[in-house]
Amino acid sequence: MDNGRPSVINDSRLRFDSFANRSDELFTKKERLPAMGWNSWNAFGSGNTEALTREMASKIKELGLDKLGYKYIVLDDGCYKPERVNGRLQADEVKFPSGFRALADYIHSLGLKFGMYNDIGTRLCSGAEVGIYGYEKEDCEDYINWDIDFIKVDNCYYMWDNATFAEPSNAKYSYAPNIKSITVEGKTYYSTKDAVVTGTRAEAKGGYVSFIGTFDGTAPDHTPVGLRSSELIFEIESSSDRKAELTVNYAAGEEEGVGSWLQVAVDDKYFFDEMLPLTKTPDTFTNSAPISIELKAGMNMIRIMNHRRQENTLHSYALIKEMLIAAGGDKDIVFSICEWGKTQPQDWGHKVGDSWRILNDITFQVGSDGNNGNAAWESDYTTSVTSQYNKAVIMDEYSGLLKGWNDPDMLVIGMDRLNFEMYRSHMAMWCMMNAPLMLGMDLRRVKVGDDIHKIIADEDLIALNQDPLGIQAKRIFTTFDCESPDKTYIRDNDRIDVLAKPLSDGSVALAFFNISTEDKVEAVSVSREKILSMIGSKMVNPEKFKNASSFHIRDLINKDEQDVSEDSFGIVSLGLCDCKVIKVTPI
Amino acid sequence: MLTDDFLRQLCSLSGELYEGIYLEGRRQGWLEEEDYLNSSKDITRKNVARILHLYLLKRRGIKDIGDITEAYKLRDLFDCRVCANHVAQVYLREIMPAKNLSREGEFLWFDLDGEDSIQDNVEYIKRALNQEPC
Repeated sequence: MDNGRPSVINDSRLRFDSFANRSDELFTKKERLPAMGWNSWNAFGSGNTEALTREMASKIKELGLDKLGYKYIVLDDGCYKPERVNGRLQADEVKFPSGFRALADYIHSLGLKFGMYNDIGTRLCSGAEVGIYGYEKEDCEDYINWDIDFIKVDNCYYMWDNATFAEPSNAKYSYAPNIKSITVEGKTYYSTKDAVVTGTRAEAKGGYVSFIGTFDGTAPDHTPVGLRSSELIFEIESSSDRKAELTVNYAAGEEEGVGSWLQVAVDDKYFFDEMLPLTKTPDTFTNSAPISIELKAGMNMIRIMNHRRQENTLHSYALIKEMLIAAGGDKDIVFSICEWGKTQPQDWGHKVGDSWRILNDITFQVGSDGNNGNAAWESDYTTSVTSQYNKAVIMDEYSGLLKGWNDPDMLVIGMDRLNFEMYRSHMAMWCMMNAPLMLGMDLRRVKVGDDIHKIIADEDLIALNQDPLGIQAKRIFTTFDCESPDKTYIRDNDRIDVLAKPLSDGSVALAFFNISTEDKVEAVSVSREKILSMIGSKMVNPEKFKNASSFHIRDLINKDEQDVSEDSFGIVSLGLCDCKVIKVTPI
Repeated sequence: MLTDDFLRQLCSLSGELYEGIYLEGRRQGWLEEEDYLNSSKDITRKNVARILHLYLLKRRGIKDIGDITEAYKLRDLFDCRVCANHVAQVYLREIMPAKNLSREGEFLWFDLDGEDSIQDNVEYIKRALNQEPC
């Protein structure tokens, strides 16, 4: 990135138009199942220390969790000195007196893997002035020297968006100005009369179009499904291939919805990607300087847009990935994107990351040594199990072995204000949805065989998450009234959901979740036909499932097993926040 | 009020030894190195909230209020994911008030990066030290 403004983007693979193109990726993609491990944040917040981390690593071994797949021990925010030393990152010498390499060596000596944290902005979320922006090369060299196996990269203090702690006026990079009209060779075309608006983000207001850009997905307000950005498209016919001049009548701003950065393309070719001068107010219109474009004989789509919110963020993450490769060669490092769903990373995360957060944090009440912290089952914001689940559950089509995984944040199992059933359903949800399984509790509280251990060490549930077929479950039914349970964003928790997940052995996992905080006495079932219609195309042997005369059912919660010849699978009641998960194998 | 003056007041009113407080506070988990680096700068409200909350937690054994949803009405609460709980705890315990930016209704703003007068900060310390466990 240049000083003071986002970089020129010359690589078309960083462009919005390339997001859906899987044939021309930026980096060689490694097939990887969701990462499993422990992250310091929910357990200890900024108060994590070397001593605590060593204890957690030892507990992972003692509890046998490493054998179940929990192998990444990740230091989150709060581990660095608050300022660089000679331009380099350095460990907080009170919290991490032996330094990061010694800690990495210890963790590796246990057969575990070591992860660290940074931000694409100028500072970390904690405020420490050691964000990776501008130091990508140096920091990645250090990470390689510290022998990391995992990196989580956050989004605070980001230069090119109004992210957390960033300048609110950075929204000027994220949205196009308000557009009243364009003029091509003397002929004026009006936004609200002659143009087509794509997507649902843009809004027409008194004679102009606003919000030309991409939804902010940090909060739970908007669905992640469908086109999440808007362009203004003018169809203009040309009698020949020729050059032309275009002016835009615009009013610029520096707030969510009204920015100053404009992109102009004709079909898929970009002709302008720059900041326009600010206008007196966001509704004081003026004409831009002429912009040279090329028209082709026939119909041309002139696209007025700003996809920089996504492109800039992708560019920042890609630079880190590039520097890690430059410093570490083929060292295998899991890349965890944590921009909170702000720029719809489900569109582009597959280009850089192994997973991408989908919302702001699951809890802001993190623990500390001696304090479990608090979590919630439901909330109006992102801070609950169901807030994260409600969004992730309809994002299955964005994830996959060669794409990466939706990340509804770290597990809050073990935190206060959730009960056993909530913990269990939380674990089952994350396993069904192929979410990364990062424990976030003080493991010193756990003993082999206790309630929490039974949940986090449930081999049946973990096997769903780590099934080599690598397919996130799809919601195939919900008691909430909607036509498309797999795509409808539902925030009313008074319901039961049914998820189906194809498995590598030809079985199907079915999960019934009572999302509500009331017991449900209600028969809910799904038929074989329903399962096949929703996930048949992803099953390894749908014909066998279709023609089976009976099924072997294993209840993954109470561990019962039975053979049945029924054609549907269901429940008659579920306790509040509880779940039933079964594995259905055709015989 | 400078960060150092704030910590001197906190020590004076709580009985903590000021000498070596920056290192000792870090060891005890209620101060950060940035507090030392910023000791000669004015202390922001979010840092007052952090220090007082963690002081109560670490030195006084006062557990967090579990349900902080009442603090969600602070419009800037989620602008700071790392200090949201600190802010919520001191707000809900009525140690630090929010500002109402609306004349007619309620638009509560904690003002994370704001700075308060010496008198106000001393009052916050006193209120914190008067806290009883929930």
